[in-house]
Amino acid sequence: MTLLSVENLRVTFDTEAGVVEAVRGVSFSLGRERLGIVGESGSGKTQTGRSVLRLIRPPGRIEADRMNFDGIDLIKASERDMRALRGPRIAMVMQDPKYSLNPVMRVGQQLMEGLRRRDGMGKKEAHAKAIEALAAVQIRDPERVMDAWPHELSGGMGQRVMIAMMLIPNPDLLIADEPTSALDVTVQAEVLSILDNLVRTRGMGLIFISHDLRLVSRFCDRVLVMFKGKVVEELPARDLMKAQHPYTQGLLNCLPRIGGPREPLPALDRNADWAR
Amino acid sequence: MALIEIENLSVTFTAKGRPVRAVKGVSLAVEQGESYGLVGESGSGKSTILRAICGLAPVSGGTIRIGGQPLPSPRGADFSRRVQMVFQDPYASLHPRHTIDRTLSEPLAIHGIGNTDQRVTQALKDVGLPPNFRFRFPHQLSGGQRQRVAIARALMLEPSILLLDEPTSALDASVQAETLNLLNRLCAERGLTFLMVSHDLAVIDHMCDRILVMQHGQAVEELPREALAKAEMKTDYARSLFAASADRMLDA
Ligand SMILES: Nc1ncnc2c1ncn2[C@@H]1O[C@H](COP(=O)(O)OP(=O)(O)O)[C@@H](O)[C@H]1O
Ligand SMILES: Nc1ncnc2c1ncn2[C@@H]1O[C@H](COP(=O)(O)OP(=O)(O)O)[C@@H](O)[C@H]1O
Ligand SMILES: [Mg+2]
Ligand SMILES: [Mg+2]
Repeated sequence: MTLLSVENLRVTFDTEAGVVEAVRGVSFSLGRERLGIVGESGSGKTQTGRSVLRLIRPPGRIEADRMNFDGIDLIKASERDMRALRGPRIAMVMQDPKYSLNPVMRVGQQLMEGLRRRDGMGKKEAHAKAIEALAAVQIRDPERVMDAWPHELSGGMGQRVMIAMMLIPNPDLLIADEPTSALDVTVQAEVLSILDNLVRTRGMGLIFISHDLRLVSRFCDRVLVMFKGKVVEELPARDLMKAQHPYTQGLLNCLPRIGGPREPLPALDRNADWAR
Repeated sequence: MALIEIENLSVTFTAKGRPVRAVKGVSLAVEQGESYGLVGESGSGKSTILRAICGLAPVSGGTIRIGGQPLPSPRGADFSRRVQMVFQDPYASLHPRHTIDRTLSEPLAIHGIGNTDQRVTQALKDVGLPPNFRFRFPHQLSGGQRQRVAIARALMLEPSILLLDEPTSALDASVQAETLNLLNRLCAERGLTFLMVSHDLAVIDHMCDRILVMQHGQAVEELPREALAKAEMKTDYARSLFAASADRMLDA
């Protein structure tokens, strides 16, 4: 069943230096599955993700032939309708927890805020829920983290706190923008298995944005490869290592490998025909 | 005698009146000209070790020596001429309202080194940036260009040791490749010694001669590079870290 469908999405910024076309005609649809979006920085991944929540601020503009979430027309929806969707139904974990966590509020308070205000939960119950959410993202010492200020968390901790916070209202669709880029491989695997579990057991849809091709190929069902605001290749995630597009192949070739030669790593050829 | 000698180092933070033992009795030695890697899960104390070397962490035990000498506290000017650090996030580590020119010339001014113009131009050239980038601000550069500036700044005082904390983790595959190539070239040209943290075992394998695996603030196992590719680790934790990197193997 389709949860989200996007047709011919364009995101444009009118700047003093001229028009920046950040997203140029992107189409995709998503069921209760894991869709990966990969590509280098600046390729339009974040703008694509934010468009679904209509979180593009002026001078940015969103246009699309169609953008539909669970029967709701996201283009026509009022700002009020959008606010009701953001969080409870579509949640987004941002690239950098530093900018998403409130720096002057303790972690525990931030986790409990929505539960108390939105769900009218008592203090004790909200506290227990928050601890549970932190434990679900494998935080070893949840009581200490509840008491911590955001600046006291390491990057990996901050990222896990963010994911815990987004998952508390049980959304239908989670847009995770580079959620594990700051984590080491073992913790990354743990966090991914948590996300994986949620997609399966809660029937949640997931848009997983990452510049890490290997991670996406392991973790997602389908992958969109973006370059300069366009989708250059769409393929099953397990086939990513066998990608056909020269851009995708070029990105894969740049990666160092355990046991590989100590020679300089190959660079991406940006002058090839496909790059124009 | 190794260039960097860390013996039984412990670091204890205090958070909410409670002690947090971030590093517990870690010892390691890095030879002159060697590249030494620190790996391990997040929170295992890798960054804290680099910060302790720079005098930026509350050391509660053990010793750190560079070139056989214990380090003074505060570290002082001599130290910054020998040891420099590069961080994961070049955006956070560059002053947003200072031009690249100012960022690169400031260390020279502080240390009373002249010939600023020529040195700044040369530094940009060394990291492969055009000379007119001097007059730009960090937000006018891409992530990879900013990391080049951060590396250029670290090299302004011609240090012999670079401490690299996840220097390419925020970068794309293509930009990571360029940055790693740059670091390796500079290392070869200048005989630099690297102490490098990364969560990517393939990056560590590409860059480092020896690797220390850390967990919960402790040293778990030290491996020469060859042992990594051959999966010759002795501890379960190092093996699990390696197993989680199966897709980073040469023939994956
Ligand atoms: N406020 C803005 N004004 C002008 N251009 C912007 C703005 N925000 C983003 N862009 C441009 O949009 C493009 C896509 O950005 P983004 O979606 O963040 O890329 P990614 O997430 O793939 O790194 C980039 O070229 C970026 O410079
Ligand atoms: N300023 C600080 N105050 C309190 N605890 C800290 C501080 N800095 C780091 N820590 C703690 O020390 C431990 C090691 O952190 P860190 O060295 O950043 O780990 P790594 O770099 O391996 O991810 C973590 O538990 C972290 O929360
Ligand atoms: Mg982005
Ligand atoms: Mg660290």
